[in-house]
This record gives sequence, structure tokens and C-alpha cells, in this order.
Amino acid sequence: MSYRALFGWLSPWVFIPSLLVAPVFQILLFVYIGRSAQLESDEFYVIGNAIQYAAIPCLFAMTHLIAGERFQQTLGYILITPAKRLPLFLGRALPVVANGFFVAAFALVVGGTIVGMEVPAGAWAPIALVTAVSAFSCTGLGFVNAGLGLVVRETAVLSNIIFGLLLVFTGANVPIDDLPGWMQAVSEVIPFTHGIEAVRQLVDGVPLADVWGLIGTEALIGVVYGAAGYALIRAMEVVGRRHATLDRA
Amino acid sequence: MRTLRLLGLGWLLQMKMLWRSTFNTLLGVIYPLFFATVAFFMFQAGDDPKPLLYASLGAAVMGIWGTTSTAAGASLAQQRWHGTLELLVAAPASFALILLPTTIAMASIGIYSMASTLLWGWLVFGIELTIDSPLAFVLAIPATVVSIGALGFLLAVAFVRFRQAWALGNMLEYPVWLVSGFLVPLALFPGWVRPISWVLAPTWGINAIRDAALGGSAWPDIAVALALGAGYVGIGILLLNRALYAARSKATLALS
Amino acid sequence: MNVVEAIDLRRTYKTTTGTIRRRSLEVEAVRGVSFEIAEGELFGLLGPNGAGKTTTIKMLITLLIPTSGSARVLGHDVVDDARWVRKHIGYVFGGDRGLYERLSALDNLRYFAELYAVEPRGQRARIDELLELVGLKGREKERVEGYSRGMRQRLHIARGLLHDPPVVFLDEPTIGVDPVGARELRATIASLTAAGKTVLLTTHYMFEADALCDRIAVIANGEIVAQGTPGQLKAGVADGSVVEVELFGVEEDSVERVRALDGVRTVTLEDREQKQLLIVQTAPGLELTHAILSQLNGTSIGRVSSREPTLEDAYVQLVTAA
Repeated sequence: MSYRALFGWLSPWVFIPSLLVAPVFQILLFVYIGRSAQLESDEFYVIGNAIQYAAIPCLFAMTHLIAGERFQQTLGYILITPAKRLPLFLGRALPVVANGFFVAAFALVVGGTIVGMEVPAGAWAPIALVTAVSAFSCTGLGFVNAGLGLVVRETAVLSNIIFGLLLVFTGANVPIDDLPGWMQAVSEVIPFTHGIEAVRQLVDGVPLADVWGLIGTEALIGVVYGAAGYALIRAMEVVGRRHATLDRA
Repeated sequence: MRTLRLLGLGWLLQMKMLWRSTFNTLLGVIYPLFFATVAFFMFQAGDDPKPLLYASLGAAVMGIWGTTSTAAGASLAQQRWHGTLELLVAAPASFALILLPTTIAMASIGIYSMASTLLWGWLVFGIELTIDSPLAFVLAIPATVVSIGALGFLLAVAFVRFRQAWALGNMLEYPVWLVSGFLVPLALFPGWVRPISWVLAPTWGINAIRDAALGGSAWPDIAVALALGAGYVGIGILLLNRALYAARSKATLALS
Repeated sequence: MNVVEAIDLRRTYKTTTGTIRRRSLEVEAVRGVSFEIAEGELFGLLGPNGAGKTTTIKMLITLLIPTSGSARVLGHDVVDDARWVRKHIGYVFGGDRGLYERLSALDNLRYFAELYAVEPRGQRARIDELLELVGLKGREKERVEGYSRGMRQRLHIARGLLHDPPVVFLDEPTIGVDPVGARELRATIASLTAAGKTVLLTTHYMFEADALCDRIAVIANGEIVAQGTPGQLKAGVADGSVVEVELFGVEEDSVERVRALDGVRTVTLEDREQKQLLIVQTAPGLELTHAILSQLNGTSIGRVSSREPTLEDAYVQLVTAA
């Protein structure tokens, strides 16, 4: 987890395996802990961790984009162009969402195959949709993270902490109902919680129509975080110009 | 004597650098807590306190491997970046004596995360740490640290040769957590996994610590962990000369 | 016996480009470099960026294995006897890198003293002595991350001298250092040979090579294009003259036309704020000022002068010809 901020110069032949192998092992880790603790089914952990792991590309890639620009000292240059900010950042966000989607989908398929997860034929498309929406909502959070990253020096610490929080609060490994009240409240307003629940239901055979609410909430969360993050980045841009911290490496 | 001085000074200075890095210390201490918390929730279901203590100790040791595997690769990448790797190779001292104390230092930092995890478990989840044989417990910890540091040394030897290997190092965090049985009894794994677990020092380290706390004989486990550690160092030294020669041929000691 | 011998050193780098279809390129950074350095000599390896200086020095200090050719330091082969060579040489390079940022200068020196097997009892004294020599006494407990470029450079030199090596290799030690600091560094370097050490210095500052070195090898494109004392190198271009023309906004083809003239050896165009300076080296016995000016028809011309060649001109000529 440590130096992903530097992964820009890594060869894809090394980067891609490391991005795809880790989630599978995270799934295996919790599947086995689950078997040891004898709580939920294997599928519970496969779905939870596959989706949750999308946080890695979504958080880190987004932060890296911004922090990386700052590191290469191009952020200042970009921010002074008259280009419209919103399309600029959205354009950069799209590949990140795609990245998150692929990682989660890959982990879901591989993990599911290993434990023998049975998925109703018609559920695959909706599952893909939910996965994409989940990746989108976490990318929104990634925007906030990136914005904070403009102020904080150790951006990787922040990203890792958010990853940890998502591990604990999203119901990836612990059913939401088993969490204390205040934690449940937090779960409701963060990415992945609703997406994970939706996929679990879809795998159980629940029709798409019944999970639209969850999908909608997940998407909304993404939009809210994305907007907040965008506002934060613009605000930091102003602060950075005032205090000349835009290019602090 | 000279060897001991070099090992000692190398360890001390590496510890100084790690302490002074907010990234390493903060993350090393906080990150394992998330996994521990999830494990505690998962094991909390029953009334028997033993699984929780089992999980607490396991989660505590996870931090030692976590800091070693991620820091080993990152440290070498950083040294390459900072131009110090070349200087170390250019020095007449044996590179193994330079590299080993650094990975042991990384594992030593893991003690902080071990302490924080046990404290967290106690404060938040009420997991009482009862230690059956304190002496074995106190000795099992450095034995685990040193043998994990030795495993880190073996990894680092690979990183010297291959510039981008550190990313693969990150990949090893989960697999070792899984296969060493920190949170999962080895009996749950398919038979073919067992030998892999046995070759990993962390497996014996956590066994030793658990036996010392929960009742059982830790001494054989401590012995095996240290023996494996010595084995890793031996293999590492053999490979190191070839790795360094290759690095000098292919010019991978520096960035350019 | 020669202290340092380079015998037809060659070094090729293989790089790969492309992500999907990997193509491998071979770059020959050093193509057959040979030279010798005698005891107590301050030898300069002078050349532009990318000429192969750093690659050459790295082969000599055992960090790179030559693709072919060999090198010996104090009679020992740099590949077969690497350990021995490392004990007897010091290596200093320029730039910000090469130090442990989070440690103090003192800790950095203590560590390297241990790596270089400096007698434990004498370590403290030796470190103090060197801190005094490079002018860092009193600041050794501060972390290196707060050091300026010049201070880092001086710390590097202290580090390189900890074990009192008879041979010292300096790779562009004054690069990026302010003029005053650089002058002090050069004085320190000169004092090394005064103390009996043999020094190899790489640099791209010709005045530095001129001022410090007993002998210079000019390297360009991986090959040595000239060797000798500064006086000998200057003599190599002492014939001929240099015509300097001040211009305002010259065009590329005009410069090319001048280059194509008979008797013109090299043409360099330098930017001087609002104007440019065209420096033309001509063969001896020719008066080319008129011909040059006629090729520059249409360009605004300022001062025109003609002078004797300097070492800088010699350098330009040697490096351009390669």
C-alpha cells in the first residue's frame, strides 16, 4: 500500500499483476477468517472485498493524478490554463472509474470461481452495473481525498486510512446490523455500502427492480462526494495560489 | 566485532530514519488496526474469549510483516532515488551486512503496531491479554521480529536486482498474512498449502507468541523461526553477490 | 606504476521502449576509452553532458561492469578485485542526492566511516578533522534535509575522504553550486593532490579543468577526442583565429551558410539576452571576416571582432568534431 503515489513510472507488466493479485488474496484472507469464525457464507466475503478493493485504484489513482501533477510541478501550469475545470477533472476521472470497475469485476469473477459462487444468469449485467456505480461513487470520494491531498503532505497515509475505514464501515466483512448504531450511521453515507448490499442481493436472486433504490443511493453518494471534492480542489487552488503551496513537492 | 558494530549501527540509523518518517510510523501503527477491528467484529460473535485473544495476537503480528514487506521494497526504491544505493554498493563492506540491519529495523518498527493492536483490542473490545509464560512471550517477540526481518532481507535481495520489484513486494503482504495463519488455523487450508506455511518464519513466530500467551510450548517454535531466519540470510547472501553483479552489468543500481 | 589505468573501456546500455511491443535499443555510452593517471596527478575528464563521463567513472569505481575492456586501480582490476579497489578509493559526486536526508551529517559520516572500516577509536577524531576541512564544523548535528547544495557537496567530500583513500574520484563536484562555494570547493580539491592523493575529476566546465588539472582528456560521444595538458590542448588550436559577430535575430540558414564556408572549422551561436553571438573558428592564415559577414546579409549586425583561440574554443572544436 505504501508507495503507490509513485506508481506512475511503473511498468504496466508489474503494475497490473500487483493490482489484480492483491484483491484476490484479500478475498481469500477474509473468506478463510470467515470460515474460522463461522459467520457468513463465502460469497458474503467475496462480494464485500471485491467491491471494497476498487478503493485502491479509485482513491490512489485520483490522488496520484493531482498529487502527481504537483510532484512534477505541472499542477500550477494546468490550473492557470483557461480550460474549463469541470470537464478537465471529469475527463481525468473516467479512466479511474473504469480502472476501479475492472479491478472489482476481476476480483469478483476470480474470487467467485474459487469459492464456487453461484450467480443467476440474468444477474451478471446488473452486477456489472452496480460495480460500475460503486467505482464511480468511490472515485467521488477520491476527489475529496485528492483535494485533501493538496493540503496534506503525506497523501498516501490519508488514502490508506480511508481504505481502512472503507474496509470496516461498508459491511464488506461485517454485516451492517452487527455494527453499533453510530457506525451504521456512517455506513449509510459512504461509498460501497449500498453497492455491496445490492450485489449480495442480486447474487441471491433478487430482481434488479428491487435494488434500484440501493443503486440510486450509491450513485448519489458518488455525486455528492464528487461535488464536494471538486469544490475542495478549487478552494485549495485559491489557497495554494495565495500561499504558494501548489508546487510543494 | 566489526560485523556486530556494522549491524548495530545500521539498525540504529535505520530506526532513526523510520521513526522520523510520519508516513512509516503513523501508517505502521494505524493501518493494522483496521484489519484487527474487522477480525475482532468477526470473532466477537461467540462467548468464548479465546478466539478473540487468538485474533488479537494474530492481528498484532500482522503489523510486523506489513511494515517489513512494504518498507523493504519502498526503502530500496527510495535509496535508488536518493542515490544512496550506489554509494552503499561502492563501499567495501559486505552488502549483506548493510542490508540485513535495515530490514530487521523495519520489522522492529512492527513492534509499535503490535503494541497498538493489543492496546486497541483491550480498550475497544475488552480483550484481556493473559500471558501463560511471560519469559517465552518476551523472547518470542524478538525472535519473530528477527526472523521476519530475515525474510525481508531475502525479498530485498530481489529488489536490488530488479528495479520494479518493490511493487511485487507490496503484493506479498496479504499472501503471507493468509498463509502464515495469523488469523486462520492452518488446519482450514488444503493440504498443499501446509508446506508453504511451514517454510515461512512468520508462521512459527505467531505460533510461538500464541503458545506463550495461551499455554503451550513456545520454545520449539522459537527455534524453528530462528533457524528459518538463518536459512533466509544464508540464501540471501548467496544470491546477493549474483544480484549485485547483475545489477552492475545491467546498470540498475541507479535510476538512469 | 600508473595509479589508474583505463584500457579500451566500453559500455553499452540496453533499453527497452514501448509497452505492448517491446523494442530494445542499444546505446553505446562509452566507446573505447583509454587513459592513464600517474601518482599525485589531478586528471580531468572534460566533456559535455551525455558524453560518457559519469559512465566511465562508474566503471572505474566498480559500480558498472564494462561491456568490454578493462581498468585497473593501483594495479588491481576493477571487476575481479572490486572489494580491494573499493577500500582504496573515494567517490564524490555532485548534486543533491547521495545522503540520508533524515539523518544528521554526523550520523551520515558515522555510518560511512563504519562501512569503510575506519578504526573505531579514531572515527570521532577523523570525522571532526574532516568537518573542519570542509567547513561544516558546528552544523554536523543538523539533518541533511536542511542543507544547501554547497553544504551537501562539502559533506560529500568529507564522506569520500573518511578512510583517507590514496585515489579520489570526483564526478562533477561543483555542479549547481554558487560561485563562491564552488571556488572554495575547488581550493579543497586542489589541496588533495597537494596532500599526495591522485584525483580524477569529471566536469563540463572548461575553466575548471583548465585551472585545476595537470592533464585533461576531452571526451565527447563516448570517445576521447584529445588528451594532454591544458597548454597542449590550447596549442592544438593556437593556429587559426576566432571571429565573433554580434547579431540581432539571425536565421538558421544564415548560420548554416557560414558553416559551409571554406576554412570555417566550427560555428557556435550563443544567446546573450537580446542579441546573439556568433563564434566562428577559422583555419590559420585565412581572413574570413568579410566572407562571413556577406553570408549574414540582411541580419542586423553589432560588434565584430577577431581574437586568439582560448581553451574554451579548443574544447568546442574538439567536441563538435566528434
